[in-house]
Amino acid sequence: MESVTPFKEVADIIKEEGGDAFKLCYQCGTCTAACPWHMVRNFPPRRMIHQAQLGLSDFEAEDMWLCVTCNACVQRCPRGVEIIDIMRALRRSITSLGVAQAPDALRMTIKNISSLGNPLGEPAEKRVDWAKDLDVKTYTEGTEVLYFSCCIPAYDAKIQRAARATVKILKQAEIDFGILDGTENCCGESVRKVGDENLFQRLAQNNIAIFNKNRVTKIVVTSPHCYHSFKNEYPELGGKFEVWHFSQYLAELIKEGRLKFTQEINKRVTYHDPCYLGRHNDIYQAPRQVLESIPGLELVEMAYCRENSLCCGGGGGRIWMETKKGERFSDTRIEQALEVGAEIMAVACPYCMSNLDDSLLTSGKEESLEIRDIAELVQQAL
Amino acid sequence: MQDEVRIGVYICHCGTNIAGVVDVDEVTEFAKTLPSVAVARNYKYSCSEPGQDTIKEDIKELNLNRVVVASCSPRMHERTFRRACSSAGLNPYLFEMANIREHCAWVTEDKQAATSKAKDLVKAAVRRVALQEPLEAREIPVNPNVLVVGGGIAGMQAALEIADGDHQVYLVEREPSIGGHMAQLDKTFPTLDCAACISTPKMSLVGSHPYIDLMSYSEVEEVSGHVGSFKVRVRKKARYIDVEPCTGCGECAKVCPVEVPSEFDLGMAQRKAIYRPFPQAVPNVFTIDKRGYPPCRVACPAGVNAQGYVALISQGKFKEALEDLRRTMPFAGVCGRVCTHPCETECERGQLDEPIAIRALKRFMADYEPETGQEVVPIEKTRGDRVAIIGSGPAGLACAYDLVREGYPVTVFEAAPKSGGMLRYGIPEYRLPNEILDSEIGYIEKLGVEIKTGSPIKELKDVFSQGYKAIFLGIGAGTSQKMGIPGEETQGVLHALDFLKKVNSGEKVELGQRVAVIGGGNAAIDAARTAKRVGAKEVVIVYRRSRTEMPAISSEVEEAEREGIKLHILATPVEVLTKDGQVTGIKCLRMQLGEPDASGRRRPIPIEGSTFEMRVDNLIIAIGQAVDRSMLASELDYTDRGIVSVDPVSLETNIKGAFAGGDMVSGPATVIEAIAAGKEAAISIDRYLRGDDLKEGRPTTMEKAKDVPKEGVEKKARVAIPLLETEKRDLSTEVELGFDEEMAVAEASRCLNCGLCSDCQLCVAACEAEAIDLEQKDEFVDIEVGSIIVATGFDTFDPSVISHYGYGCLDNVITSLQFERMANASGPTSGQILLKDGSQPESVAIIHCVGSRDKNYNPYCSQICCMHSLKHAHLIKEKANAEVYQMYIDIRCVGKGYEEFYERLADEGINFIRGKVARVTDQAISDDEKDKLIVVCEDTLLGNTIRVPVDMVILSTALQPRSDAEAVGRLFNISRSADGFFLEKHPKLDPVATMNDGIFVVGCAQAPKDIPQSVAQASAAAARALAMISKGRVELEPCISQVIDENCDGCAYCVDPCPFDAITLIEYMKEGTVKKTVESDPVKCRGCGVCQATCPKKGIVVLNFKTDQIAAMVDAILGVG
Repeated sequence: MESVTPFKEVADIIKEEGGDAFKLCYQCGTCTAACPWHMVRNFPPRRMIHQAQLGLSDFEAEDMWLCVTCNACVQRCPRGVEIIDIMRALRRSITSLGVAQAPDALRMTIKNISSLGNPLGEPAEKRVDWAKDLDVKTYTEGTEVLYFSCCIPAYDAKIQRAARATVKILKQAEIDFGILDGTENCCGESVRKVGDENLFQRLAQNNIAIFNKNRVTKIVVTSPHCYHSFKNEYPELGGKFEVWHFSQYLAELIKEGRLKFTQEINKRVTYHDPCYLGRHNDIYQAPRQVLESIPGLELVEMAYCRENSLCCGGGGGRIWMETKKGERFSDTRIEQALEVGAEIMAVACPYCMSNLDDSLLTSGKEESLEIRDIAELVQQAL
Repeated sequence: MQDEVRIGVYICHCGTNIAGVVDVDEVTEFAKTLPSVAVARNYKYSCSEPGQDTIKEDIKELNLNRVVVASCSPRMHERTFRRACSSAGLNPYLFEMANIREHCAWVTEDKQAATSKAKDLVKAAVRRVALQEPLEAREIPVNPNVLVVGGGIAGMQAALEIADGDHQVYLVEREPSIGGHMAQLDKTFPTLDCAACISTPKMSLVGSHPYIDLMSYSEVEEVSGHVGSFKVRVRKKARYIDVEPCTGCGECAKVCPVEVPSEFDLGMAQRKAIYRPFPQAVPNVFTIDKRGYPPCRVACPAGVNAQGYVALISQGKFKEALEDLRRTMPFAGVCGRVCTHPCETECERGQLDEPIAIRALKRFMADYEPETGQEVVPIEKTRGDRVAIIGSGPAGLACAYDLVREGYPVTVFEAAPKSGGMLRYGIPEYRLPNEILDSEIGYIEKLGVEIKTGSPIKELKDVFSQGYKAIFLGIGAGTSQKMGIPGEETQGVLHALDFLKKVNSGEKVELGQRVAVIGGGNAAIDAARTAKRVGAKEVVIVYRRSRTEMPAISSEVEEAEREGIKLHILATPVEVLTKDGQVTGIKCLRMQLGEPDASGRRRPIPIEGSTFEMRVDNLIIAIGQAVDRSMLASELDYTDRGIVSVDPVSLETNIKGAFAGGDMVSGPATVIEAIAAGKEAAISIDRYLRGDDLKEGRPTTMEKAKDVPKEGVEKKARVAIPLLETEKRDLSTEVELGFDEEMAVAEASRCLNCGLCSDCQLCVAACEAEAIDLEQKDEFVDIEVGSIIVATGFDTFDPSVISHYGYGCLDNVITSLQFERMANASGPTSGQILLKDGSQPESVAIIHCVGSRDKNYNPYCSQICCMHSLKHAHLIKEKANAEVYQMYIDIRCVGKGYEEFYERLADEGINFIRGKVARVTDQAISDDEKDKLIVVCEDTLLGNTIRVPVDMVILSTALQPRSDAEAVGRLFNISRSADGFFLEKHPKLDPVATMNDGIFVVGCAQAPKDIPQSVAQASAAAARALAMISKGRVELEPCISQVIDENCDGCAYCVDPCPFDAITLIEYMKEGTVKKTVESDPVKCRGCGVCQATCPKKGIVVLNFKTDQIAAMVDAILGVG
């Protein structure tokens, strides 16, 4: 039997992280059942909240690091509990109070980000290499749009295709845009979710300083994670910019007639809603509008779509941690796409692209399905 | 009044409520230091007998003439202390209360701050009370009638309680029947007695009670007045049925062709457009549901009731359908072939998929008539005045048709050898066969219209002199327009009308190999297709705008192309090329489109230097027709545009008694527009001959049905109209073939019934009691009552907004109320628990708290769902013996016998799973889940997420305020709480009264509650109303507005802002000049003070709330003066 010896500091940290509404939790279990983990293993957010209410959290547990911050629970919570903030606070308790250790892979990544500014451990000066042959100008004051590619397309050769397509489209639409010189760093969204608030603050401050120095006013991003932090988290740190996810920006360009399609894509396409675009920021329609405007393209919906979309498994820092085979949501997502007869799964997030690419590869279904960024599809049809 | 002000101040401890936070001794000592305070004391409970006695004694013994009590809210005890003052001989309005409990003790834990504020409030009260004046309460008589709004169980109960006391009750119910939600229920918890068994006796009692005036299908429109004397205006909505004669026999519903989802059965069954919501309805009468005129009918120039005959066709009532059409016009076969069908353009179904093929259905009725045999009974000539119609085209015949049916002897004069006008001579036979036209004209003749062909009219006065009392002119526009280009008079140039007329009269017309037709209207297409049929090898239509601007019917253009006719768009001829007096070709100019012109079509603009030549043997000009101005030129006035001048409403010409319509008035237009004109003229002629005003009430407008629901309507393509193969087409064989019966029924069944009632009028014939009155209008009734009981009930939460529960997407996910209907013997499944496929479920999940206790929807608990969910579980066990799972958060069974019911259900073997459901899905992940609904939730007691495969899911949906609660609240001037339900005066001690005296709120209009609580509240409100009646008078607050005559200059700023309509501006003469001032009605005034705040001159004040009295308080609190 466990004796009740509450860990009071945890409650304070949770309160500080904005998760104070956890006191209202009436233990209905909506969060646990809404959580995608239930498909593959037991993961009890409800119980973790109750433990936190009583100050009895088990910090050694693997559960601490499972939450993918997909927001499915928060969206449905009948009591308005900010469950993600609680998870973040629990993780922060671990790192700042030193009561347990973070998983090795995560610690390594955090070290990379802390020292090099990116999770892949690549040198900062190589950040802009992906665009070398594309003749992209460096952003200077007065340029209309800053394109911020996210670390993964910048460094990961497999994912670069999203950023490259984006640049080509922006050029074709004759947008006055530029990219930064490589002094910028990771947006810090997932760093914050794994509980390293100090590092997040440092990353964000650095980016904000660079944006402000260059008098950036309008940022177009490829990653919904960058979108989320720039739009919803940077303003509280003094960084106020007009932020567009590329799918929104594309929809606008198409509406204004600045992009004209000349090619057909005669394929059955399904769209995978990224958590940070959909549930976190309510952007469901723009990517669909873009896809539907491509001639010949037939858009089909998977059983789990829009607010009920299934997470790829990459949020909340999970992209940097190993997920056992058989527990990967992206494997299920590939099956769901095949079930509706899709030939292409369109994505709008580098994390999703990375996870889904891997799952497609391991599933051996590359013949039947392709994973393509919306930007790639648009560029192909121009 | 005594000169010296002597104030007694009493500080109440309220047990520890006040004294626990406020230092009452310190406040008492402070009070003693205030000016004019003769005595200050504190006491544990000032409201108690000893507390009151102290005040009374002090008044007498210390000669107090003012009293201040610092205690709780005046809402609690102001009356208590006023009574105490009064009984000690002090005017009760010389008393003031300071609220140091709710305003000080209860809002802070800071004792010092609370004490300090208490002192300020006491000081303010002391300053103010010194300035107060003695007032006398006013009394007014109470009107003993009571209005009850809402005929659910609460409303019925309240009405019966009052009526049983022999007092008049008006019960207003907006639905066709009383009964409310309770009438929809099957059994009631916890006793499981049948809802109908216990509510129908009350319903029938309400329906027959001598003291209850039941106003069903009615709504309260306006409320004015105040407690004891309200004036209420009620709108009795037209039900198109006279309540008295209707016996509720239901013969009308049997013949009604329109089916719509039944609201009472929550869309699980259909009802007719003429309906009674349920068999035990009170009053037991039918109601016709109208939603305005269907768009097809509004779009038709002649107002043909397409929805009517389409609905009848859908029911296989083909003969009745044709009769319905013939109420308006006789040309089913003609218009069914050649009409430009504006009705289809406006058809609402077109917004969903494709419009109904109304024209083809119209033709079907005519095609089908020989099957049933035509019975024509000549119409008796009941009118003596003879009418002459000149011209037997569609306008003339339509006019003749309407007039002969009014009983007039009608003669049609036609110059041509055969009747029909443009229908016969202008439209090719392959589109409109002669025998169809002959048959429909024959029908008109059989009704009694005389047609004289070969009878041209030279002068109208001849007609009048032959004894005709009125004339209709429908001569048409039969002259072809000329292009005005060189070579137009050359041999080989034809005009479309002449050409068609010759061909249609059977004359042989020789054409060359290549023919060009100029124009883009129906005549051009007809001429081109006829030219092809006569033998031309190559036919080209030359049109100056683009294809989209062509006025011709688009399907006709398509058929022309299919027959090999070429279109040469954006070109216009500028010269006819000739050789030896014979056409050899045309020289054309290319065009481009500019801005839209007056017709809304884009204007063609010539492209300079773009001329080209086209070799042709014949040219047929079809650029339009004109009226022959030489006709009756000596008598008729023509306009500058070359058409006959008429009054736009009555169609009367410059000659009295002569009316004109159709192409000769409008210029070339469509058949249906000509028919419309003929019908309008018939109305004018009838009025003229009766000596009535020609224009009164004209033109009539039809209000189009709005918000036609399309959700849940399955998309279905329109039935294609069969066509003759192109190789079989010739001059006289019809190209378009009609629908067969099956096709017609299928197509007609697609109709959305926009107007609900289709106005087919079959019910009128079916009703033996002659109760149906399609002309009925809404009626307004003014009533006067002394009190009002609001029992407007609740709406149920729409769970489709919770997308992860699948309501509306997944079959067999239903709401609790839908389950009630299903379980009910009179419901859609006759009481059986059935899945959509008709089988019985083997397992059912009941999801609690759907939309309740949920921050995203309604934060409150809906009170009844736990109990009805248990009841549903019992019914499922009993009727289907299925496994039942209850997914709950907390089971709340608080009420007499409720916990016992819970225990009983546990004993029946219900599975309880503690956890809120996160998702209902049909995505199976194992064989056990195949074809099931899978309910995903955490069993929080087990700590596991579970997937429960079931056949049926019942969502226990929240109870919500009525969607129009805000408007109703404004109507009765009652407030709502944060959840949207009506706010009671006090949640514990005054739960049925509202802040508006004389208006009570009961049942679920106040908050979600079960039947016993609703009934108890209803009885309580009735008791309050009866108490007022029994007392016979009500006391009104004397703190009301008073006009200060010397200050008021009659600026009237206060008049409009007064929410009680109490202030009127008056003018009077004083010393020879007009003076203005306002008057305040002391009965209407409620003392709200808006007038005082508005007045710039201190011309109107509220007694005991005068500016100096309020200023004294403010100064005291601010520490000024």
